[in-house]
Formats: sequence, structure tokens, C-alpha cells
Amino acid sequence: MLTTLYDVVHDDRETRLTVRGSLDINSAPQLAEEIDRIVAGKPPKVVCDLGALELIDSSGVAALVKLYKAVRASGGALAITGTRDQPLAVFKLLRMDRVFNL
Amino acid sequence: MAPIRLSLPGLLRYRALAVRIVAESARLVSRSAVHDPTDPLAHDVRDPFDTAVVSAFAEIFNNIVVHAYHRKGGGAIEIAITTSERELVIELVDYGSPFDIERVPQLPAELDDAALPEGGMGIHIAKTMLDEMTYEPGPPNLWRLCKRS
Repeated sequence: MLTTLYDVVHDDRETRLTVRGSLDINSAPQLAEEIDRIVAGKPPKVVCDLGALELIDSSGVAALVKLYKAVRASGGALAITGTRDQPLAVFKLLRMDRVFNL
Repeated sequence: MAPIRLSLPGLLRYRALAVRIVAESARLVSRSAVHDPTDPLAHDVRDPFDTAVVSAFAEIFNNIVVHAYHRKGGGAIEIAITTSERELVIELVDYGSPFDIERVPQLPAELDDAALPEGGMGIHIAKTMLDEMTYEPGPPNLWRLCKRS
């Protein structure tokens, strides 16, 4: 079964971004373009579901930091949910688990 | 034990292949279980040892492609993986530009919204995940990564 790196669902209450597989130096630029589109809509709440994310590298972290900063700068809130295994270990190492309330 | 040897073009399109081989090599030392044997494409990096090895290796591979070969390739990345009962050593050799590891900035002491970094985290991740990491500039440039179980 083919799966995509991410999908985005908007409803009245929130924008939900689901990221899967490996978010890394190869795939992060693709997500960064989607992040630009999400942020352009100034969403009040963005939920980023990382429950299906298996691997992340520093480029992937940078993309999510960009999302966090841009959503906050436009007055919105970002919640990151479902983080596990290797991605959680990387966030903890970088002490971003506290920033993202993981 | 003879090392596992792999030579790849220094391009990002070969990264996923290298990461999978390193993940399986880590599993030889950690003996971590495969959670879903029916899904050969799952990365399945859950064990702390595997996590450390894969995370560090991926960052150094990125670093070589970006800083040694400037994303243009033109040279090889030669990888030698040595596994033993309680240790895994990965050596990566490239023939590109040397990297100035001394100029890598530290992570900010306090991570508030303004200080959250959007780059420069790769070397920090690799170094912190490993027991030892050394770099000998060349060319050839040599990275040596060591993780003990």
C-alpha cells in the first residue's frame, strides 16, 4: 500500500497535519512547502500527529520548529501528539520535548 | 570479525539505503526484535541502541553530502561497519571538502521560542547519541562513530 509523507485535514476547530514514515533531509523540504500553505491560512489551532512517524533527523526537526514558530507568530497554537520511539528520543536529546509539551 | 563494507555515491538519494543497512547492523549488536516481520519496509527503530546508531549515522551521512560534497556528489562515501558482542563502530570516509567541526555552535542553554534552532543540530545529535565520535579532516575525511551496548 502506498502512503504519503503527510496529509492535512481542516475543519472548523483545527487543522490536523499527520506525518508518517521518515521526516528527513530528503522529505523535509516537501513538508516545508505544505507548512507554508498551512501557516498562510493563519489557523487558530494546528494539531501535528506524529504517531506514524518512524524516523526524524535534524532537517525534520527544523521543519517542525518552523511550523511551531510560524503558528505561534500568527497567534495560533500548535499541539504535537503521538510522538514515539526514535523521534521522541531526538526531541528529548534536543530538549524540545519541553517546548512542544511532549 | 570482518567489517561490513559499503561504498555509495555521496548523494542524498543513497541515504535511505545506507540507513537501512546501518539499522540492521545495529540490530546485530542490540538483538532487538522486529516488531512487524510482515512489513519489510518499516524502519522499526525502537530499541535505544538502534535509535542512537541510526540517528547519529543519518546526521553524519547528511553532513558529508551537504558539506563535503556540497549536494553535488562527485565522490564516494565509503562505510565500514564493525560489530562485536557489545559494540558497533562505523567509519565513514569521504573525499570532499573538510568540515570545520570546531565551528559548530552549541545548543542554546535555554530553549525559548526565540532561541529554538532551525539548523545546526545534526552534529549535536550525533555526538550526544554516541559513546565516541571523532573526525579527522583530510581529504580523505574520516568520521568514526562508536556505540556500546
